[in-house]
Amino acid sequence: MNLNIKANKNNTFDAIVVGSGMSGGFAAKELTERGLKVLMIERGHEIKHVEDYDTAMKEPWEFEHRGKTTNISAEERWANSRFPGLGSEEVVNHLTNDKENPYIEKRAFDWIRAYHTGGKSMHWGRQSYRWGKHDFEANAKEGIGIDWPIRYEDLEPWYTHVEKFVGISGQKEGLEVLPDGHFLPAMPLFAPEVHFKNKMMERFNRPVTVGRVANLTQPQDIHTALGRASCQYRSKCQRGCPYGAYYSSLSGSIPAAMRTNRLSILHDSIVSEIIYDEQKKRATGVRIINQNNMQTEEYFAKIIFLNAGSINTAALMLNSKSNRFQNGFGNDSDQVGRNLMDHQLGSGASATVDGFEDDYVFGQRPNAMYIPRFRNWGDDKQTSYLRGFGYQGGASREGWERGISADGFGDDFKQNLTKPGPWNIRIGGFGEILPDPNNRIYLDPNKKDKWGIPMIVTDAAFVENDWAMRKDIVASAVEMLETAGFKNVTSYDRPTHMGLGIHDMGTARMGRDPKTSVLNAFNQVHDCKNVFVTDGAAMTSASCVNPSITYMALTARAADFAVKSLKKKEL
Amino acid sequence: MNRREVIKNVALMLGGTFSASSLMAMNHWEQSTSPNKAGAVFILTDIQQKMVAEIAEIIIPKTETPGAKDVGVPAFIEMMLKDCYKEPDQESFMEGLASLEKVKFLSLNSDERKGVLKFLEQETKKMKSKSTPFWRLIKELTLLGYFTSEAGLKASFQYVQIPGKLELIKLKPNQKSYAY
Ligand SMILES: Cc1cc2nc3c(=O)[nH]c(=O)nc-3n(C[C@H](O)[C@H](O)[C@H](O)COP(=O)(O)OP(=O)(O)OC[C@H]3O[C@@H](n4cnc5c(N)ncnc54)[C@H](O)[C@@H]3O)c2cc1C
Ligand code: SF4
Repeated sequence: MNLNIKANKNNTFDAIVVGSGMSGGFAAKELTERGLKVLMIERGHEIKHVEDYDTAMKEPWEFEHRGKTTNISAEERWANSRFPGLGSEEVVNHLTNDKENPYIEKRAFDWIRAYHTGGKSMHWGRQSYRWGKHDFEANAKEGIGIDWPIRYEDLEPWYTHVEKFVGISGQKEGLEVLPDGHFLPAMPLFAPEVHFKNKMMERFNRPVTVGRVANLTQPQDIHTALGRASCQYRSKCQRGCPYGAYYSSLSGSIPAAMRTNRLSILHDSIVSEIIYDEQKKRATGVRIINQNNMQTEEYFAKIIFLNAGSINTAALMLNSKSNRFQNGFGNDSDQVGRNLMDHQLGSGASATVDGFEDDYVFGQRPNAMYIPRFRNWGDDKQTSYLRGFGYQGGASREGWERGISADGFGDDFKQNLTKPGPWNIRIGGFGEILPDPNNRIYLDPNKKDKWGIPMIVTDAAFVENDWAMRKDIVASAVEMLETAGFKNVTSYDRPTHMGLGIHDMGTARMGRDPKTSVLNAFNQVHDCKNVFVTDGAAMTSASCVNPSITYMALTARAADFAVKSLKKKEL
Repeated sequence: MNRREVIKNVALMLGGTFSASSLMAMNHWEQSTSPNKAGAVFILTDIQQKMVAEIAEIIIPKTETPGAKDVGVPAFIEMMLKDCYKEPDQESFMEGLASLEKVKFLSLNSDERKGVLKFLEQETKKMKSKSTPFWRLIKELTLLGYFTSEAGLKASFQYVQIPGKLELIKLKPNQKSYAY
């Protein structure tokens, strides 16, 4: 996967892609497949697909701390370990060392990062939902933020394009609130979930479906051609999949781009600035700093795709100052870094399920149950907040862990814990957060990181709408579990900050008006059209569904547009 | 000493308040029984190690399958407390051991030991403190150490390395859990 940069004397390519994560991988694939020579620049170290998934095949007892977070990890990964499970020794070394890559929390922000090949696409939960028509229209209808410059119909064919390549297992439901996509066979719901689903339809007219997830239940030629195989149902995806059975840049887009022989990848290279040519009035390339030896270098291209992840993309733009862009690259509107959004996560309810004692499952389902948004939808009108939320969750039989809080010890206790325990069920909300210009990141005017790049400051928090919704996420979860007849219904509401929803976005939003937005309808920077931003930064609103396939669809659409424009000599 | 007496003694030892939590709080001020001072490395004495091993073995005894001691749970507990737990929990663990030392846990017979632990389990439920109570710590670490050890896991569950499929099935009588 390495390349020979020196062979390219001028360091010049057709396109540069900054970042190798979910969106950067897709940009590289689309651009190379359309004939462009692409340089992908990744700030983190190289991870080789399969080979470097060092924990993937470890047995449970081979983890010294049996998967727990050590004090050392908690200190080094002080932000990453705020997300449940990411401090675990199964995955922690693949997440960014926050101590070495600190940021400043003016207001606390749980920033989850993975600086390496594939970025967070290696660690994502793979839940993949199309946005609905309403998601693109809500801002305009409600007078929130600014209007999207595109509609569902603009993205529709690109969703299909992405879904075919990624491979998403799911059930068609024919719902307007959650449009169907191009699906591989769905995974099953478990018996108590089917009971729950039926009850919810009967009592509330609320549909419940199985999660739509980027794991191959039935690989197609487009997948096997890249060496991707069927899911083996171990549900240890976050360690990296030795079968390439879930989608990541590592298993999908990067190999696809490499296959064209037009992709070069540069690792350990932090893009610190976009180079702007005042005469040509275009960006000509980027400047990098090698993270290990501090050497700087410049690379050039006709077009540049920024895919460093919402916050880093905004930071890179803010740090790229020129005569033309004294306030940061493409930042005439002063919107770069603002409108930072995320999703609400960390509240809901759980319950125990009586019955279903004979029902059990062989294999581990790397997926969940999904309850699409039902608030402020159809006849439902909430007075205390706008928009809505969806739930993810599911039922499982308790394992030996139930013994920790149960009374007893000794022979029978030990024996009993070897059998599956009762079922329990849990649902947690993902809620939409509204864009707010005061929720933002910016660069500290004085403090710099060890590479001399200004440090990022997070300054964002939930606002009234978010808190009101959060209350309802908890209350509705309790109501639904109780209505289903489950017992010991217990609500939970983790103290949380923005960021924990792991869907940071919005920091260079799309819009129609250059005065209030950063990007146009094809993700071009309004005032410098050969630069495209197609990661989460582009988002004008947040929806309540997981965002990554939308980032990929926007990326594919923009890449197609960019190459066509290049061919027409319009760029 | 029969079980009732043991419990009575433990209760007396707890300062007449019948509360383990108050004992633990008291121990905070008792230098001699609070060996893990701020910043100190978490290390157990031989006697403490022996107590941990005995308690772990009472929680998960050797039966026709291995017990906690067989699979190295005692050393695991100490290592985990050192590597993965913060000072308040480490202190809470030490205080728990100290109070058991006071009732001469190691010189009690097997029934008496179980009686003390049953008492401790009930008392723990009433405790309200920021740190994790001793009983909870030793129980969760014993179970974790045992059920995820190679011998403990394989003896307890049906270990499936690579399921290869996802199937809804019916449980057979006495079927063990799958572990992955
Ligand atoms: C635990 C977890 C679970 C998730 N679950 C889901 C889910 O179920 N569904 C869903 O849709 N989404 C999920 N997400 C979110 C998903 O991972 C992100 O939306 C997605 O990865 C974002 O893609 P990206 O390309 O913008 O950023 P990333 O994937 O983070 O990639 C950015 C890349 O850019 C690199 N980079 C950053 N700065 C620079 C720079 N200056 N120079 C060079 N390179 C740079 C980074 O090292 C990184 O490799 C989850 C995330 C996490 C952490
Ligand atoms: S559950 Fe499937 S995708 Fe996940 S690691 Fe296992 S085989 Fe790979």
